[in-house]
Amino acid sequence: MPATAQLLRLEAVKRVFDNGSVVALRNIDLRISSGECLAILGASGSGKSSIINMLSGIDRPTTGRVYWKDRPVTSRKDWSALRANSIGIVFQEFHLLPTLTALENVEIALFGKGISAHERRVRASKSLDRVGLIARQHHLPHALSGGERQRVAIARSLVNEPELILADEPTGNLDTANAAIIADLLFGLHQAGKAALVLVTHNRALARRCPRCITVKDGEIIKDRSVALTAEPEGVSS
Amino acid sequence: MNLAGLAVRNLRRRPMRTTLTIIGIALAVGSALALVALSRSIEESTRESIDELGIDLTVTQKGAPDLFGGFLPEKLAGRLSEIPGIASVAGELFLFAPTENERQILVSGWTNAEHTVPLREGRVPAAGERQVALIGDLTAETMSKKLDDKIEILGKQFRIVGITKYTSTVNRASVIVPLADLQEVAYRHGQVSMFHVDLRRGESTANIDRIKRDIIAIDGVSVLMSNEILQNDRNVQVLKAVSLSISIIALIMGVLGVFNTLLMTIQERTREIGIVAAIGWSDARIMASIVAEGLMMCVSGCVFGVALGFLIALLFPLIPRIGDYIHFRPTLALIVPVIGAAFALCTAGSLYPAWRATRMTPAEALQRA
Repeated sequence: MPATAQLLRLEAVKRVFDNGSVVALRNIDLRISSGECLAILGASGSGKSSIINMLSGIDRPTTGRVYWKDRPVTSRKDWSALRANSIGIVFQEFHLLPTLTALENVEIALFGKGISAHERRVRASKSLDRVGLIARQHHLPHALSGGERQRVAIARSLVNEPELILADEPTGNLDTANAAIIADLLFGLHQAGKAALVLVTHNRALARRCPRCITVKDGEIIKDRSVALTAEPEGVSS
Repeated sequence: MNLAGLAVRNLRRRPMRTTLTIIGIALAVGSALALVALSRSIEESTRESIDELGIDLTVTQKGAPDLFGGFLPEKLAGRLSEIPGIASVAGELFLFAPTENERQILVSGWTNAEHTVPLREGRVPAAGERQVALIGDLTAETMSKKLDDKIEILGKQFRIVGITKYTSTVNRASVIVPLADLQEVAYRHGQVSMFHVDLRRGESTANIDRIKRDIIAIDGVSVLMSNEILQNDRNVQVLKAVSLSISIIALIMGVLGVFNTLLMTIQERTREIGIVAAIGWSDARIMASIVAEGLMMCVSGCVFGVALGFLIALLFPLIPRIGDYIHFRPTLALIVPVIGAAFALCTAGSLYPAWRATRMTPAEALQRA
């Protein structure tokens, strides 16, 4: 696939809640290319996480369509398959299962793929190794720091070798030092691999590291720049 | 780790709730097993007792609901004996009668005891002898009776002249007295409960059918092969229906525990369900993981339930009066259907919570506290 081939496309996507009284997204058109690094910038409540939800299929548009490699994705089953094979998600709140060790939390992303238990474990270990957490693989989430938990979540998103990584405020719950480590890790992994990276943030310094940045306000894309930001986007905190 | 391992891990998060649910299933399976085994045991024991008497045909009152509910005139024996192919006819009156220490025993009034009763000790009553009794060895044991002791039946004293050695529990626990004596003390003068009909050896099937037709031609009687008696006995049918109904209710109550537990589980773990959905688990896999938890509890409940069934069977003989006469043991033929029903119900009870877990989008599930 060429480096600029289209991976995911939102077409006139609208998302409303409470019978239309709350509008999260209005007619969003967005294309993400293979290998691209994109930041979605916006204030709290602007709709940037809703865009991530649409891109990952964990929420469905009220109207509009989502295409994966020019094919519309409509069913839960298709979205599950995409998330299992081609899309990795990193959340602000880590979202690890509390009863499973770091290794097992990564391993469960490989369930249902016809991979043997041994192979699952090997691949999960390798993924943890990539994020520098192999020494903590048998720890439960409560025994890990915030930064370590986020690294487990990143390892989980990488274990299926996805074509697209969606990171929703990955440093939002971390202190400055850990935020820097996670950011470096994500950009490093992006550069080392072929996966496209979509990063939702309200941190302009982080957004500056992405070649492309879109700004969202009141559920609409108000800016789409293909160069690093030089000025603070409207309504965005530092 | 696999789905089963994950299910075990999740169940251990709420040990008390899981344990109580398993206990609920165990009680349901144990009681269902014991009830079905008890019902089957009573039926089998009654069938054995009939088989043991070596009767070819049984003539009862037409429309009688059960063996105890019909009466025929004793003089009908003469008409039956005249039917070609019939070797002998014996009337029998039987009833449950009060005896010593507020016990109830099955008492049978016979006319031909000397021909068919196996004896452990003593003798059969002489022709025309009155106020004498043959008692089963189980009755002798439980009532501490021996030869020449007296046994009270319906307020009259009978001298024990023999102790029988039947093999079926029903016959071992019964008492045989002369028919005339029982008719007198039970105020059933000239009446019998049924006639035992022995056919001449070597009768063809066609001939047996003809004999049955000839018997039925007598007004007000019905005729059954010995193996058909229980099929037409309302008491046995009611016993089977009641035990089956209670067993099903018990199992459903056990499964409702699983249903409730899993519904609470998915409420508590909505966010975790959202997590696995967000990393690509299909609806089917999510449902399988929840059903696996239900089946894990079912497996544990069934193991303890079967053990409980055996324990009930072991302790049942200790129940005063009843325990002496009724014994049962859960067999594989009973365990398999009970466990099969428990599994089927548990799977059904797990599917709805599992289905509900997949109804919301992962985003909605992740937003739940």
